[in-house]
Amino acid sequence: MSETKQILVDNNHALMSKDEMFYKEFPSDYRQIRYFTLLIVQKAPPEIKEINLLEQQISEIIKNAVKHGNKKDASKLIKVWYFFSQEEARLIVEDEGSGFQKIKDWNSFNIERQKCLVEDDFEKLADYVAYHTDESDENDGGNAMFAAVEYWDEGVVFTEKANCIALGKTFPKKQHGLELNSSPS
Amino acid sequence: MELKIRKSGEIYIIDVSGEMDLYNSYKLKELVMKMLEKKISRFVINLENVDYIDSSGIGALIFICSTIKKLNLNLFITNIHGSVKKVIELTKLMGYFPIVPSVKDAILKFRSL
Repeated sequence: MSETKQILVDNNHALMSKDEMFYKEFPSDYRQIRYFTLLIVQKAPPEIKEINLLEQQISEIIKNAVKHGNKKDASKLIKVWYFFSQEEARLIVEDEGSGFQKIKDWNSFNIERQKCLVEDDFEKLADYVAYHTDESDENDGGNAMFAAVEYWDEGVVFTEKANCIALGKTFPKKQHGLELNSSPS
Repeated sequence: MELKIRKSGEIYIIDVSGEMDLYNSYKLKELVMKMLEKKISRFVINLENVDYIDSSGIGALIFICSTIKKLNLNLFITNIHGSVKKVIELTKLMGYFPIVPSVKDAILKFRSL
């Protein structure tokens, strides 16, 4: 069994470096989350967009910042740093909120969830399909970060204040010419 | 997102089309809740024409799925593909959702219940 992926807390993690990254900032306007995301994703080469998977994963992080971080307060800003190449996607999103204080709790929850999945215990999994806190509402899916720790394979890292999240994903280098591992037909 | 309902015998098929995102996924929940009030017991949610889903959309499917399970009623989800499938795979819920390939497969499953 592979170890359960965790959300990390580390101010000095390599993914926190903003060198050579693009920057945009947005007001915390809930209605425009998908639009803001598109403005960022348009910089990505088509090879790593995977139709709209990259867009979807980025929009979840921006949504969390707008909704849970800045509580949809339009006077508060969302700051986004981003970098895309054919081999890598990187994202840093910072809000003006008080930070995601339940990282330990979330990691414990995810371990329990992972146990249900490994044991195919779908009855127990029903209690772990979604992570909700006192602040969640009925439109919170409660599953975005489970997908995030899987998708962002370089890591999902918060600062200690936990109002800033950095994520990175690698993409397999495009093969040119001879295909390895191909079986004879 | 657009929702259309069609019938095959006692089975109600909800054809979802477009994008299931943070702005509209609640509509599918509301529709299913209304159908439950009308004592409908066999559901198919057909995602053939859905090409985008986010955590709110997955959340709506989880809510619907768990509500229907609790009531001991039946649901199948059909035609998941593309990035919708990838997002469900990332959340590792492929085994949790009652997924079958097509609407036809769902109808055959209902007949054998």
